[in-house]
Amino acid sequence: MNKVSAVSASNVCLQFGDVHAVKNVCFELEEGRFLTVLGPSGSGKTTLLRLIAGFQQPDQGEIFIKGQTVRELAPNKRSIGMVFQRLALFPHMTAAENVAFPLKMRRFNARTISDRVKEYLHLVRLEGLGSRKINELSGGQQQRVAIARALVFEPDLLLLDEPLAALDRKLREEMQLEFRRIQKELGVTTINVTHDQREALVVSDQIIVMNYGEIQQNATPLEVYRSPSNPFVANFVGVTNLFHGMLESLKGQQVAIRISQQTLLGTSKSENSALTQGVSVQAAIRAEQIRLFRGKSENRECEAYFEGRVTDVIFEGERILYELSVAALSDAPIRIIHHDQQDFSTFEVGEMVFVGWQSRDMHVFVVD
Amino acid sequence: MDILEAAFSKIWPKKGGFWGPYLMLSPAILLVGLLVLGLAYIGDTSLRTLDTSTFLFSEEWSLANYERALTEPFIRSVIWRSILGATIVTMTTLLLAFPYTYIMVRTRSAFLRKFLLIALFLPFFIGQVVRAYGWLIILGKQGIVNDILGLIGIEPLRMLFNYPSVLFGLVQYMFPFAVLMLAPALTAIPEEIEAAAESLGASWQETMLYVILPMAKSGLIGAGLVVLTLSLTDFAMPAILGGGTQDFVANAIYDQFFRTSDQGFGSSLAVLLIAIGSLLVWIIFMLVGAGTLALGAKDK
Ligand SMILES: Nc1ncnc2c1ncn2[C@@H]1O[C@H](COP(=O)(O)OP(=O)(O)OP(=O)(O)O)[C@@H](O)[C@H]1O
Ligand SMILES: [Mg+2]
Repeated sequence: MNKVSAVSASNVCLQFGDVHAVKNVCFELEEGRFLTVLGPSGSGKTTLLRLIAGFQQPDQGEIFIKGQTVRELAPNKRSIGMVFQRLALFPHMTAAENVAFPLKMRRFNARTISDRVKEYLHLVRLEGLGSRKINELSGGQQQRVAIARALVFEPDLLLLDEPLAALDRKLREEMQLEFRRIQKELGVTTINVTHDQREALVVSDQIIVMNYGEIQQNATPLEVYRSPSNPFVANFVGVTNLFHGMLESLKGQQVAIRISQQTLLGTSKSENSALTQGVSVQAAIRAEQIRLFRGKSENRECEAYFEGRVTDVIFEGERILYELSVAALSDAPIRIIHHDQQDFSTFEVGEMVFVGWQSRDMHVFVVD
Repeated sequence: MDILEAAFSKIWPKKGGFWGPYLMLSPAILLVGLLVLGLAYIGDTSLRTLDTSTFLFSEEWSLANYERALTEPFIRSVIWRSILGATIVTMTTLLLAFPYTYIMVRTRSAFLRKFLLIALFLPFFIGQVVRAYGWLIILGKQGIVNDILGLIGIEPLRMLFNYPSVLFGLVQYMFPFAVLMLAPALTAIPEEIEAAAESLGASWQETMLYVILPMAKSGLIGAGLVVLTLSLTDFAMPAILGGGTQDFVANAIYDQFFRTSDQGFGSSLAVLLIAIGSLLVWIIFMLVGAGTLALGAKDK
């Protein structure tokens, strides 16, 4: 049983001058799933969405919606609802007129239009505000109008281009959950773009991490978080410590690497052919996977274990971020996130402490 | 210092307060004041009739000049020609300027944009009179166009000194003004808005009609008002391209002042022209609002 993907791309490339805005992008997205494209500014996220929406043609490759190529299909003939980075609501129309616009363009009858508009304004919790002009609505309310307008004609696909970037954190988090609720309620296939890794982890079924126009990893949020496919992903998602070293030996997925006179153990998913002795590698470990101890005796199941000096303490509310300098690793700075619900004791700048981690949490990548 | 300040605060009680900005208006007020003075003088003159035997103006006021202006067939036709001409010119100019501006603002080609801009500004450097003479050279009986037509055996056409040639000259003259007034309005519409309309199912014609035009409305009205008033009161184009047969009101006023020396009648025509212009502008305000000329007052 071969299910047709709602959206797929094969080898899509687009160049602006000599900038590869999108390069060799391939992915598949199943019906009803929520995909987030995550990447730093300029990584080609908007360009990818514009290609899917049809505002731009790929230099190479093909995009399919429901298994059909859309190369010959103009944007107004693709059944795609898009919420733009700057919303792009029509300022000369009321909220309800904005929502009615796609229905009018599709020649629905007046009866259906007014019913649908009412239904979708209700869905985004804007009932009663339909007659307001756009500039008479708050930022969050405008987001909701944009969502309703993009969904009201029941498109095959919803594209969200960082519509939340301009909102303050609290409202943004509220709207993220709102997107998720609406998406679940309607079951519409969604591609969301963001450079906020938290948002990506919270709302998505699937995450594509991009950099310089190329896909770095395409996986579930858990996988992207737990086993990043390369140092870029490891560094971009979460707070990560990166070490440079050299491969010493390997046994299956277990690798031993040498970092400034120390031998450390880690795991690697790289193909074995690339893992030869002496090759230079990067090792990544997340800030929250490192434990902190006051005394040597507290060492429990840690496989790596070092003494270090606290150089900075940053209180972030529900967690504390420590920065340490570890002499054994040539004073490499190490960042550690400490969640401690029971014990509110904190370490102080200048204090000598012990750090430790498990070797399975240390991801080793071959540097090319 | 203290004395100065004390004296100053006597003249200007609340320091940096309410009157400051208004003081800066004084040069402008002076200019407008002079204009009002001139208008008052014209208003006064327009009420005095010329005694053709003595060449003196009557001592007492009467509406005789206005009566004459509104009944004399020649003047009436001049007034109608001006109003109709200004209306046609405004419509045509907006119709031509809108796509030109749109392309100039939206094109991705820097070369095309520069070309369109230069093509727009060049006529400004040439000036209205020289430009009108240029048209004489191009469109005249022995002009370039007729020369070319002659080559393929077509009899010389009479393209000048008629109503269409005056309107043509006016449209060509007004075009850059309209484009310059439209450009900011169109630049202010983000491209994303167009992309949005398109992705919501609108064809480009529908995007134009339902999104771009309404959003550019204020610019269109502003440009329309400028073109309308400028062409209604234009002098050079009717004089040169009309060759005396296609006078607008301004030409008739000129004749009264400098040929017939009936300043009373000329003044009454001037007052009428102001009244007609104001009336047209008022009608447009009532119908569609003041556009960009409303200066941020809330559009309805
Ligand atoms: N119309 C264009 N002409 C030339 N270069 C472009 C154009 N659009 C995008 N680019 C370039 O392509 C690259 C990708 O841009 P894109 O807008 O897709 O980034 P993004 O991931 O959406 O970034 P952001 O998070 O800042 O929105 C950038 O280097 C950008 O400068
Ligand atoms: Mg973007």
